Amino acid sequence: MRDDHEVATSAIEGTTYYGLPVIKEPVWTWEVPAYFYIGGAAGAAATMGAVLQVLDGDNSERLVRRCRDIAAVGTLAGSGLLISDLGRPERFLNMLRVFKPSSPLNLGSWILVTASGLSATSAVLSRSRGFGRRLGALAGFGAGAIGLPLSGYTGVLLAGTAVPVWKESRRSLPLLFVASATGAACSLLEMGDFDESELTAVRRLGTVAQLSELALAKAVEKETARVAGAGRPYEGGVVGTLWKASTACTVASLAVDTFTGKSRPGRVAAALVGTVGSIALRYSVWLAGRASARDPRATFDSQKRSDE
Amino acid sequence: MATGFFTDTTVCIGCKACEVACKQWNELPDDGFSFTGMSYDNTGQLGASTWRHVAFIERPVPLAGQTTGLGDFSWLMMSDVCKHCIKAGCLEACPTGSIIRTEFDSVFVQPDICNGCGYCVSACPFGVIDRRADDGRAWKCTLCYDRQREGMTPACAQACPTESIIFGELDDLKVRARARVDQLHDMGMGEAYLYGADANEQPGTQGLNAFFLLVDEPEVYNLPRKPSAPDNHIGESWRSLAVGALTLLAATAVAVLSSKGSR
Repeated sequence: MRDDHEVATSAIEGTTYYGLPVIKEPVWTWEVPAYFYIGGAAGAAATMGAVLQVLDGDNSERLVRRCRDIAAVGTLAGSGLLISDLGRPERFLNMLRVFKPSSPLNLGSWILVTASGLSATSAVLSRSRGFGRRLGALAGFGAGAIGLPLSGYTGVLLAGTAVPVWKESRRSLPLLFVASATGAACSLLEMGDFDESELTAVRRLGTVAQLSELALAKAVEKETARVAGAGRPYEGGVVGTLWKASTACTVASLAVDTFTGKSRPGRVAAALVGTVGSIALRYSVWLAGRASARDPRATFDSQKRSDE
Repeated sequence: MATGFFTDTTVCIGCKACEVACKQWNELPDDGFSFTGMSYDNTGQLGASTWRHVAFIERPVPLAGQTTGLGDFSWLMMSDVCKHCIKAGCLEACPTGSIIRTEFDSVFVQPDICNGCGYCVSACPFGVIDRRADDGRAWKCTLCYDRQREGMTPACAQACPTESIIFGELDDLKVRARARVDQLHDMGMGEAYLYGADANEQPGTQGLNAFFLLVDEPEVYNLPRKPSAPDNHIGESWRSLAVGALTLLAATAVAVLSSKGSR
């Protein structure tokens, strides 16, 4: 920036302004990480429902319907959570007064509102006959397509901030959120009672998703470690404990499912532990951001190099 | 016409007239009359109801050309404000289009549009904009948009008794600021430099419409060295999401097809 000047002052490593934060702490409340979980699971479920419909629609009718139900309930509940987090909830429709791809939150609002409409339509119409049923299937395909970005755009949303721990995991966080959302959707589906082949598909996908989730959590740690202090929240304290608890739950869910997944109680136990792990993941990422924003050194180190 | 602030910190005397003038003109609520106990700075930081903030820095380093009876010591004072970035993180992030760029090239939050989503708060690399708890909306310096529309100088610059805060057309301000740096260098203050005066100096923001003359590292003033609008690095995240989504699609298909026979 100023190579042509002599700097002969107190520029010591570790300078802060009386230890005060540089950036503002995120103002989002508990509803937002809850939405990250439920919205992501809904997106993955919508996609799974559509893929099942195409590849094995005749034999997987109940599973397709359950996918659509999860997608519909998840997107509607998620919309409610997001609206209640707003400072002016009555103005939530202002999100849709512009189309602005530069804003992940604007694009995400469009994704969510589209997914809500299509998922609800497909869930309701899959219970009808004839033309309505075909229309429901069509809406289900649409929901499946929009479910792809819905499953993990919230990772992009967090990466698109100045908060060090989120910004510095900008490559791995969206992937982690997609994997965790898929695992979450599989856990919700595993709680139901389905045919052998349907359950096998769900369990296989769930296992792959949870293994990916474990690997990607490590990838997030590794990516944030590139900037000194950025990953500090994950290393200890309340956030670190929650982060590790999330990993432990995912491991436990995998183990229980592998050894007792053939039985219904075993499956449900694995699904419950997996659900807890997925929710804990979203809350630890959210809390990590709040802690990270309070850390002036992490912020300075994250904004030392130019991104250009 | 692009207007802005040139804040020359070398002539700031820390009187806080800018803070008071800003509060009065914009009818901003108080911040709780807290006492920090750390310095003469009881304001702490910019926020939803604090749009000018005078920082007080005590350094164990003398200022060039000065001697004190206290040994190695000097004060730095700086009136901080929204930078009105050319590439503004808050503006890019705002999902409602509430945050706009005005005819004066400043960044303005339209209070009748903002729905208080809070995304701008996390997108600002300087920690300027914040949400007001009682009101629910995001607020920050307007660069006195209302006064400018009437041809008046912003309240803080009007009140500044030492011309530390100078308001004017950006091109004029830059000429003036560079002349001031040269003058200070000639006076033996080689450490004087401009922060955020143009895109070359600060590519992450494409330059600031409210820029500063500083005499120590940016971090000393609680300013990041290379601030960057989050929009600059978001492409990598969208690409990651695309990879993740396609993997989800493929993995689901494989899981379904591979389980088809197992009945």
